[in-house]
Amino acid sequence: MIHIEKLNKSFSSKAGDVQALREIDLAVEAGEFFVLLGPSGSGKTTLLRCVAGLERPDSGEINLGARIAFSSRQRLFIPAEQREIGMVFQSYAIWPHLTVFENVALPLTQGRRKPPKAQVRERVRQALRLVDMDDYADRPAPLLSGGQQQRVALARALAVNPKLLLMDEPLSNLDARLREEVRTKIKKLVSELGITVLYVTHDQVEAMVLADRIAVMAHGEILQAGNPYELYRHPHSSLVAEFFGSMNWLRGKVLDKQCIETEIGKIEVAPYSERNGKVVVGIRPEDIKIDSAAGGSANRLEATVSSSTFIGDQMIFEMKIGNSVLTVKTMPDDKRPEGKVHICLPKESLVVFTDVSLD
Amino acid sequence: MLSQRSLVIGISLVPAAAIVGLLLIPLWVSVRVESEAGVSFGLRAYHTLFSDPFSYRTLFNTAVFSGVAVLAALFFGVPAAWIVERTNLPRKGLLFTLMTVGLLIPGFLSAMGWVFLLHPRIGLVNVALSSILSAEWARINIASPAGMGFVQGLGLAPLAFIMVAATFRSTNPELEEAAAAHGIGVIRVLVRVTLPLVFPGILAAGIYILTIGLAAFDVPAVIGLSNRVFTFSTFLYTQVHPQEGTPRYDLAAAFGVFVMAIAGLLSWGYFRVLRQSHRFAVVTGRSYRPRQVELKRSSVWFAWGFLGFYLVIGQLLPLLTLLWSSLLRYFQLPSAAAFANLSLVNYRGLPWPHLFDGLWNTALLMIFVSTLVLLLSLGISWIVVRSRARGRFLLDVVAFLPHAVPGIIFALSAAYVALFLLRDFVPIYGTVFLLMAVYVLERTSFGTRMLNNALAQIHPELEEAGQVMGISLLRRMATILVPLLLPALVNGWLWIALLTYRELTIASLLVTPANVTLPMVIWGLWQTGSFARAAAAATMGLIFMLPVIFCYWFFGRRLAPGGGQT
Repeated sequence: MIHIEKLNKSFSSKAGDVQALREIDLAVEAGEFFVLLGPSGSGKTTLLRCVAGLERPDSGEINLGARIAFSSRQRLFIPAEQREIGMVFQSYAIWPHLTVFENVALPLTQGRRKPPKAQVRERVRQALRLVDMDDYADRPAPLLSGGQQQRVALARALAVNPKLLLMDEPLSNLDARLREEVRTKIKKLVSELGITVLYVTHDQVEAMVLADRIAVMAHGEILQAGNPYELYRHPHSSLVAEFFGSMNWLRGKVLDKQCIETEIGKIEVAPYSERNGKVVVGIRPEDIKIDSAAGGSANRLEATVSSSTFIGDQMIFEMKIGNSVLTVKTMPDDKRPEGKVHICLPKESLVVFTDVSLD
Repeated sequence: MLSQRSLVIGISLVPAAAIVGLLLIPLWVSVRVESEAGVSFGLRAYHTLFSDPFSYRTLFNTAVFSGVAVLAALFFGVPAAWIVERTNLPRKGLLFTLMTVGLLIPGFLSAMGWVFLLHPRIGLVNVALSSILSAEWARINIASPAGMGFVQGLGLAPLAFIMVAATFRSTNPELEEAAAAHGIGVIRVLVRVTLPLVFPGILAAGIYILTIGLAAFDVPAVIGLSNRVFTFSTFLYTQVHPQEGTPRYDLAAAFGVFVMAIAGLLSWGYFRVLRQSHRFAVVTGRSYRPRQVELKRSSVWFAWGFLGFYLVIGQLLPLLTLLWSSLLRYFQLPSAAAFANLSLVNYRGLPWPHLFDGLWNTALLMIFVSTLVLLLSLGISWIVVRSRARGRFLLDVVAFLPHAVPGIIFALSAAYVALFLLRDFVPIYGTVFLLMAVYVLERTSFGTRMLNNALAQIHPELEEAGQVMGISLLRRMATILVPLLLPALVNGWLWIALLTYRELTIASLLVTPANVTLPMVIWGLWQTGSFARAAAAATMGLIFMLPVIFCYWFFGRRLAPGGGQT
């Protein structure tokens, strides 16, 4: 549905040129829910706006379905109004001078995808029904709550029957509880309608809940794309690993293919290739096992509990080994380890990356 | 196929090109030397101009005139702004209305009133002074550069008020509250904290008003011309409309080029200072209730006394004098005998067909100029604020130029173009279309300033939402931007209409009997010495204006963003 090749985009500002997108390659299949995830300034919104046609890239190619939407080689740029997409904006962009009904109807009466006049009413009703806003059709836009505006924005985007729906941080202006509720609704709705979605967010939980696939972006590049499980379990870089939840990092030096000398001692890792010299070893807090009775396994270490925090569904410990501190998460149970304990770092849970830090 | 974007850009480039063209004309005319041998180019006009002591006197007059105007405007405008924005004075809304309406009273009407009051020989006050006190020394001569500057300053005080009030409003009151919380008294907070904070804003207003003063035509034309006291604009006028001899376009153009350079410098200074003043502006967008100084009962009286004094001498007195004079055959002090002499004879003697011609043309101009300016400004502002078109900032600067450059220079260029360059192909001279074109170009600076601000307040995603849903640019403008901009557009339309109503400067060089405007009819009567009838025509003019002022007051509660007058 979306094919992007070697896309570049830079902005000139007072401080000089900023490269917002560098050589982006991306393919989104029809019917897929694809999330662009990254911190602010990573280029994810710029990429979305390039797909929408609201920004003109410097070079590269964008294909939407069978159509070329942008090609620097062919000097072709289809403006946004001709791309036949739907879009939900971060600010919702609900036109304040119109009612809910008129907001959804305006693209159908003024836009390029005009249905016959007689159908407009029914199409608007249908779209509003999808988001449970049909009771509010006559309400003026300024009288809507944030959540209601969000739903109208979604209805407006769906009313034009787009094959591709773009969403730019649509939930970031809602409060936490509402966000969870709307998240589930969006997922259900678009999978029922079978449309392709390109969705931008900086919230990793939101991305994992919604996405079929995620592309993690930073500094105008896609670091890694894949389904949520792959990204969580098999990150290609420490940046990606860190973006999906917390990580314990240990500096070390490679001894041989399966063994690394770290700040807390020798650690066995799964066989890996082509890494030598300085590395970092990472493990997620929930993967560290405490006082594992199943002794004898590799990477058993003695640690001192320096603090413990109970947060309901989890226990979080800070453990000291020498001068290093590890964070450990467990399911809460009756035992509260104190003082000296044994921990185990299962080698299949460890990730190893070349140490690129300069200090 | 031509895209709608190219169409909008193309249309917007037309006025921009015309503005640049009109500004280049004086440069060209000033170096063009016509002699019997043919046409050559040289600096003869500049040489003639700068070897004549009269030019220097005019420059000196202009400097004194605009300097006094700035001082007078700030003297009344700044305290009024402080009182309105930072004290709890009751009935402040009324003051805002009076000040805004004050800005719309045509300057030449007040100037006529002041002549009746303070003319060295016939002014009511001077006559009264010498007859009652036999104090010849106390006579005030309004027909001097300083006197005219004072009258101009009174007219510009509302502008100073509006600009400085905006500065007060955007200056974070917490900075003052912090000083007050640490035990510093009201006066010291004012002197040590508030004034330094708003100083750049006041300076910017001062420079802005100086630019206007430099170019002012109305007041010097009404008071100065008949008394042979010239400032820049009236000098230009007499070069083109000399009482004897042939028009000297070359001298006028040379002087115009010189003043354009000064005006350019002032505008550059204005923008520099303005940027400085924004350093102190509140940028959080968080709403706050400004701290208000509690006025004691005596201070309230004092404050209203000060404001009332201004409103009386600045607005009411000259207009009442005008009305009074229009009802008398010859000037008299108000007395029982004078009251008995009141009559409508001056009104009956008015050249009514001529007056209605002027009114008709003025009405046409008001409607078409306001509409065209807003349409063009919407296009230009959209390009400047919304499009990423290359060179859009240059377009913005060009659209601002008509404000920086004195209107009389535009009129001079337009007259030259229409008379000598276009006469054979487009016989536009002496038609209302020529006036319309020049008025539109002149007002585009105001229209774009206003719409730039208004457009920046509208979230870009509101328009982008329409774009991705397949709504074309022109339809987006019609169905999204125009409705959202409606308050600003209505306000701007009325404001431009009122400025068009009072416009005398450009008309003075471009009006012929065939395309006369209402202000020109009034001024024409005045120029020929029919003072009483001119006063009657002026009163009629004010009466015609009332419905529009009422509309402005009724619809446009929101104030025009800083600076309306040119």
